[in-house]
Amino acid sequence: MRAVIVEDLALLREGIVALLREHDVDVVAQAEDADGLLRIVAGHKPDLAVVDVRLPPTFTDEGLRAAIEARRRQPGLNILILSQYVEPIYTAELLESGEGGVGYLLKERVGEVRSFMDAVQRVASGGTALDREVVSELVRQRTGGAGDDALASLTPREREVLELMAEGRTNAAIARHMVVTPGAVEKHVTNIFGKLDLPATNDDHRRVLAVLTFLRSA
Amino acid sequence: MDADTAPTQLPIAAPSPVQDEQPPANALPLHIALSALAGLVATIVWAVTGGGYYWAAWVWLGLAVPVAVHAIIRFGLSQPASARHGLALHSMVTGMVCGILLIVWGFTTDGVRGFWPLWPLLVLGVAVAVHALVIYADRLPGREREAQLAERVGELTRTRRGALDVQAAELRRIERDLHDGAQARLVALSLLLGRTEERLSDRPEEAELVRRAREEASAAIGELRDLARGIAPPVLADRGLAAAVEALGPRAATPGTLEAQKHTARPLPVVETAAYFVVAEGLTNVAKHAAGAAAVVRLGEQDGRLMIEIADEGPGGADVDGSGLTGLRHRVEALDGTLTILSVEGSGTTIYAELPCGR
Repeated sequence: MRAVIVEDLALLREGIVALLREHDVDVVAQAEDADGLLRIVAGHKPDLAVVDVRLPPTFTDEGLRAAIEARRRQPGLNILILSQYVEPIYTAELLESGEGGVGYLLKERVGEVRSFMDAVQRVASGGTALDREVVSELVRQRTGGAGDDALASLTPREREVLELMAEGRTNAAIARHMVVTPGAVEKHVTNIFGKLDLPATNDDHRRVLAVLTFLRSA
Repeated sequence: MDADTAPTQLPIAAPSPVQDEQPPANALPLHIALSALAGLVATIVWAVTGGGYYWAAWVWLGLAVPVAVHAIIRFGLSQPASARHGLALHSMVTGMVCGILLIVWGFTTDGVRGFWPLWPLLVLGVAVAVHALVIYADRLPGREREAQLAERVGELTRTRRGALDVQAAELRRIERDLHDGAQARLVALSLLLGRTEERLSDRPEEAELVRRAREEASAAIGELRDLARGIAPPVLADRGLAAAVEALGPRAATPGTLEAQKHTARPLPVVETAAYFVVAEGLTNVAKHAAGAAAVVRLGEQDGRLMIEIADEGPGGADVDGSGLTGLRHRVEALDGTLTILSVEGSGTTIYAELPCGR
């Protein structure tokens, strides 16, 4: 796998590069700002771009904007955004920005090496990896207010599966995480799709989209 | 009087507009000198012709009046027009006329006709006094205090706005520093601990300790994030008020709708932050006291003022002096805004806030 890293803080950039290299990811280029991102993506055609959302000069969301622009120029580019905070609206913008894997994780997840590398692999192969904070926020939104009948009808176990699905995990990964059989997960998933009236699909990316669309619809 | 203008006439070419605007050369000393000479000549003639009634005094008076007029004209042209300058001219003309009257009275008095200049002097004096009163009305004891207060209010408004701007900028700097400093270092620490943990896979006890250290680092990062969000949520700086309020929806745990008028330009950061916290606190209150009730947030701009409305269909009867609402009111009033709460038992609660955009 060939990856590029865009992070303005050298300390973090070097740490992430070291971590990826330890896991046989070929880090082909590094940059510090949005222009650098566009340049190295055009120059190296990587499989994955790992991008800090906040970059010079304004330190707002130019990392996100630049990543979406890079994907517009190179359709199918897989993007993993790292951020100090999660905003559901940024997730939606990323998911709607076209084909390709999408990841949106809190920066501190890099410390959870195994699940971080899982996320990297998933995004690099066109899948989805959303931070559990994003997902739980969306679930909280749907259940904390007026109460949503459909969500309320889920069992706690199904709720857990739904959150893992929204994070972008496959059934097999959910089974490993919950220490149950893949068959059991599949049953939960079928129940969830039925209760939430979601279009059943085996494509992981579309599955995530369906779940998120449900969670975001107020 | 010719002496006044003659030297200023340039014999060559037509005077250009620029030359017209130049002040005339000072011919007053020459005028005085010539007048004095003429007066002396008259006095000498009087002495040579045998004295008697000192008629030369009238000559002196006739010469002195044009000199005085000349001097007043020069003074009048010496400064740009202003109320004070006008009063000074008025006083000088009055003084000159009074002087002439007194001199004429002095030359002609024979103790029979009394002090006839009294009435003209009185009228002229009253005219000057009225003029002065009109110009310096604001210096009267009561008015002076009022003017001072108005000036002070203006000054305080300016400095307070300045202080708030500085404070907002300072808070954003702290937020930036947290992000680039402590938070970044903690993330780097967490990364190092994670890599260490991975290498200790054959020593579970040590790995467990490292994992716990990493979790502590994560918790610290989480706390710093909440702190930074309390200063100003990142999405507010990134995308503006409407987006931040929209992002607030999930956290506020209220099924609300947002009606935001498209803004042509964003308000000042300090105003934007205050408006954000009004909506955030308003929605928190809705979630707390009117759980499940529908709520609407309206954002708009009118005549340079940001209008915010948070309306719910809850039970109403809110405590308008509650600490949360009082805090909001202080925040809004510090920016010269207003906060109004309408909460009638049984018909929901509406918070209106208005803030000057300050652009």
